[in-house]
Amino acid sequence: MEVPDDAPPQGWIVKGVTTYIYRDFIRWIRYRVGVVSTLVLPAAWLLFVGLALPVKFTGNYLDFITPGILVMTILTAGISSGSLLMFDKILGFLNKFLAMPVPRESILVSKILFISVRGLIQATIILILAVLIGATIMNPLQYGLTYLILFLFGVFISAFSTTVALYLDDHDSFAAFTAMVTMPLFFASSALMPYDVMPGWLSAIAHVNPLSFAIDAIRDVGAGSIPVIPIVLLLVFTAVVVVLSGYVFRKVTV
Amino acid sequence: MTTIQTENLTKNFGDLCAVDNLCLTVDKEIFGLLGPNGSGKTTTVLMLTTLLSQTKGNASICGHDTRREPEKVRDCISYVPQDMAVDTTLTGRENVLIFARLYGVKNPKDRVDELLAVMELTDRADDLAKTYSGGMRRRLELAEALVHEPEVIFLDEPTLGLDVGARKNIWNHIHALNKKGMTIFMTTHYMDEADQYCDRVGIINHGKIAALGNPSELKAHLMKDVITVTIDGEYAPTQLDGTLFVGQLGDTISFTAENGREALPLLVDALNHAGNRVKAMSLREPSLDDVFLQSVGKQEEPKGFEEWKFRMMLHHRGGS
Ligand SMILES: Nc1ncnc2c1ncn2[C@@H]1O[C@H](COP(=O)(O)OP(=O)(O)OP(=O)(O)O)[C@@H](O)[C@H]1O
Ligand SMILES: [Mg+2]
Repeated sequence: MEVPDDAPPQGWIVKGVTTYIYRDFIRWIRYRVGVVSTLVLPAAWLLFVGLALPVKFTGNYLDFITPGILVMTILTAGISSGSLLMFDKILGFLNKFLAMPVPRESILVSKILFISVRGLIQATIILILAVLIGATIMNPLQYGLTYLILFLFGVFISAFSTTVALYLDDHDSFAAFTAMVTMPLFFASSALMPYDVMPGWLSAIAHVNPLSFAIDAIRDVGAGSIPVIPIVLLLVFTAVVVVLSGYVFRKVTV
Repeated sequence: MTTIQTENLTKNFGDLCAVDNLCLTVDKEIFGLLGPNGSGKTTTVLMLTTLLSQTKGNASICGHDTRREPEKVRDCISYVPQDMAVDTTLTGRENVLIFARLYGVKNPKDRVDELLAVMELTDRADDLAKTYSGGMRRRLELAEALVHEPEVIFLDEPTLGLDVGARKNIWNHIHALNKKGMTIFMTTHYMDEADQYCDRVGIINHGKIAALGNPSELKAHLMKDVITVTIDGEYAPTQLDGTLFVGQLGDTISFTAENGREALPLLVDALNHAGNRVKAMSLREPSLDDVFLQSVGKQEEPKGFEEWKFRMMLHHRGGS
């Protein structure tokens, strides 16, 4: 995480982004409980849900559940991106950064990238653990596609959560928003069970849930196909949310 | 080219006019914006630092309009907010290094070492900022603000909550920066500090400038002596030739007089005559507190009065 000392002026946005990421990174690793919890939580999820849950909907339930846990992890990680920005806002850092000549958008980009990449580190732990406890090993292309989908989904969620954080004024309302969004999204998705065993209403909701979208795409990858259309759509949605987030950011920081 | 110039700078929050047609010119000096709580000091600073857009009017910093060329403005300023914001989980050095990199300065590591030395933080540079005292955190913030050698530095209450020694230390640094040609725009509640260190002060009340000028000039506008009277019960307005009512702060009433020693006995009579019960009186030279009281106290309605009076009492130290 070393930042190059001399970057050309036109690379200023890059320098801004890398420096902000460097800051969030050290703050994260200094806060040891935070590191442990980000790493242990997804593992716990996989073990409890994948191994301990008594219901088995499909043949290799572990292969079925892993994509769900992966996306769930990215969801909780991505949502916390707004939290990072919220604290910077409340504690007065944001105003200090906004008064600097470095392009303001680099703050936003850094939060989204940092959180998405941190989410991928968590995903890696789940993938390794899943194999250790009996999931099928995929080929490198499949892993690459899985990471791509997770990354896009991470950017999508963290851009969404930073946009909300920009609008809200205090951390309590943001925490309330997080709680309100995370659990319903997870349980009303295809994470835990296939559509055909869901009650009709749940299946209807799960079909339009962005979470299922990412989960299904990863399952397709696991089944050996390349889900081109879902990936392209995910790319489009992500681009829309990122642009929207940038727009809101400019609007609230005049 | 003047460093800071505002024309009818105005900010409304709904019905509330926080800053009202402010016209100011500040150049290569230490300028202090003084005023009671909620008078619009922070709002003014936020507009000048491109963090808040004005409802009306213009402001330019180093010749750049804050609205049309905000990036250029940000290039020549530094801003230290009212609430201290240093990353406590980072070391002092890391805190400053982040700013040096964000500003894109050449050889950031050397520059950071240099500034930590100037701010007398070298021996604690590698400790986490959470172990720093309030004064050290303020100095750390100053170090961050100075990495890119700004032409103007905005300090919102830089000495709030610091002890006498730490305050003096911060002021010495500010003074030294100004000697090197930097313009300092700061807000404060501490009249005695403003009196001692600011080249010019502006007293702001309800978003309007109520008095502007060099502290000694402003004091000279008052007459030579100040008489303070402590009374028992309600104050009944009293008039006496040769004296002027300045303001009231709790049970203390202030007057100015051209010749205090002579006016003193006459004033006692006049006060008693008007029905006041005088408990104590004292005679002193005018201070910036009196200027403040005169420009702010008079037009203050009772409701707003209570709160700033409370703050004044908290901050009223060593003025007499
Ligand atoms: N974002 C905002 N929305 C609505 N009103 C605001 C906002 N910011 C400030 N105000 C109001 O504008 C007025 C001026 O506030 P400001 O913070 O500029 O005062 P101040 O002089 O800095 O006070 P203090 O000495 O307490 O720091 C106050 O009445 C305040 O309530
Ligand atoms: Mg203020």
